[in-house]
Amino acid sequence: MNFNLILQQLLNGISLGGVYALMAVGFGLIFNVLKFSNFSHGGVVTISAYFGYFMSQYVFPNFVITFILTAIFGGFLGVLIEKLIFRPIRLKGAPLTLFLVNSITAAMLVQQFFAVMWGDNYYPYPEFIKETAIHMGEFTISKIYLLMLSISAFVLLVLGYIIKKTKIGIALRAVSSDIRTPSLMGINIDFVISMAFFFAGVLGGVTGYLLGMAFTVDPFIGSMIIKGIVAAIIGGMGSLGGGVIAGLILGVAESLLIAEIGASLTPIVVYASIILLLLIRPEGISGKTYIVKA
Amino acid sequence: MFYLKVLEITSLYTILVLGVYLMTGLTGLFSLGQGGFVSIGAYTAAIAFMKFNLPFPVALIMAVVMGAVLGFLIGIPTLRLRRDYFLLITFGLGEMVRAALLYLSQLTGGALGMAGMPRMVGLPLILISIIFITFILYSLKRSRFGRNCVAVRDDEMAASMMGINVYAQKMKVFIISSAITAYGGALYAFNILFIEPNLFNWLESGRLIIITFVGGLNSIAGVIVASAIYYSFGEFFRFIDVWRDVLLGVVVILVVIFRPGGLFQGLELLPKKLIEKVKRERL
Repeated sequence: MNFNLILQQLLNGISLGGVYALMAVGFGLIFNVLKFSNFSHGGVVTISAYFGYFMSQYVFPNFVITFILTAIFGGFLGVLIEKLIFRPIRLKGAPLTLFLVNSITAAMLVQQFFAVMWGDNYYPYPEFIKETAIHMGEFTISKIYLLMLSISAFVLLVLGYIIKKTKIGIALRAVSSDIRTPSLMGINIDFVISMAFFFAGVLGGVTGYLLGMAFTVDPFIGSMIIKGIVAAIIGGMGSLGGGVIAGLILGVAESLLIAEIGASLTPIVVYASIILLLLIRPEGISGKTYIVKA
Repeated sequence: MFYLKVLEITSLYTILVLGVYLMTGLTGLFSLGQGGFVSIGAYTAAIAFMKFNLPFPVALIMAVVMGAVLGFLIGIPTLRLRRDYFLLITFGLGEMVRAALLYLSQLTGGALGMAGMPRMVGLPLILISIIFITFILYSLKRSRFGRNCVAVRDDEMAASMMGINVYAQKMKVFIISSAITAYGGALYAFNILFIEPNLFNWLESGRLIIITFVGGLNSIAGVIVASAIYYSFGEFFRFIDVWRDVLLGVVVILVVIFRPGGLFQGLELLPKKLIEKVKRERL
């Protein structure tokens, strides 16, 4: 493999990794607050991808408007999912296993629903960008990938600001470290959890839009969430920063591996190395450990 | 004949659900990779029988051993950690198995799958297996082993305080479950007579978990009934067959919200209990 090809794959990998990072953070937000693996995030991604497609194809053929609409739509979708399937069991004080069952079910439900309704077709987004590639000497940079990378970075930076500086972000972190005490300090836990789902949903909406734009829309697009969860694990469950770094690493590693050993062996190598990683360093990159409290 | 076929297929899947019941229902271990174990069992048996000309019983045993060994290997790094890690690694395992089966096309036929197995498994063997597995599970559930499982499921920390070796307990459960699942896969291969790498993806694994929850965490009878209804449903209601999974999903969410113990709660359909109940009602 020559040097240029490596550099090329590196660029693609970083762009793809940006989307993985979005998913990892969307997943990590909910994990931090409620401590369960939220597979329904994949459902949000799928629905948003379809929503973005129908909006941009039939309503406004404008990139910026549909993109923002999809992001907001994803946010409200997240809140709706929380209200419908997680809040009832949370208020009953159900064990974590039931949250997990509901989230897996929701993911399956969405996937099957779309498979039945629109599964026999692939839906490509309209071409917003006329010339899809920039040629720089020997390099070819896909504009869509460049767009993906910059949007991911922007969204993550904004979210980072919200979590670090704003009041709702501080409340979110407080609830993450302990779900009971903040309510004694006058924080409305229900609202904070809804907001967590809103932020995660916005990330899901953005992810769905970007994935739909970069590839095509099909019911299984939500299964990509697994890459996000893998990134979250490598980064250390619950560490958002670690998730971002791990998402980028995963994207780059995948691109390079696919170029080097082919697409059929790549998943084997990726998952085998994660199992090894868990053996050696289960707390992930960030080194945060989660202790199950009594 | 048609009903016989439906019964056969339903029973095959019920074996898989029973395998999952022990780990998910009783012990609270979620695996999205049980599909991988089904494939491993099916392919091991088929390859042993077809390529190495081993007798059928030996092929079956090999499938079970393969499942157990794989379960052990996957269990070592993951069972010590939070359940989420286990969930994810088993998911990865399912994908790895799929990718590996596609890659090793010399041995497995790749995406074309394997066909041409003789029909060694009929309804009698499947039903006997179900009865046998149910008996084992029921005995386990009622023994100290099963109570340990429930303790681990409900509160790991409290369980370890009471002197249960949580890791060892989970490991045993995972190995037994994997073995049962692989056995189910082997039966599948020699009954359906066609296997391919994509037959058992993560959705199938997820379905097995979900059915367990509909039936009831503490009820083997409930799980069997739920799986029988689910897997025979499509044969009788062809017109809404495509919506089967959507329907199942809605049912599951409703059950989890309104009846968290599952449809059967803790009820077991035992002949003795039933007779007692009838007697009591007469008095």
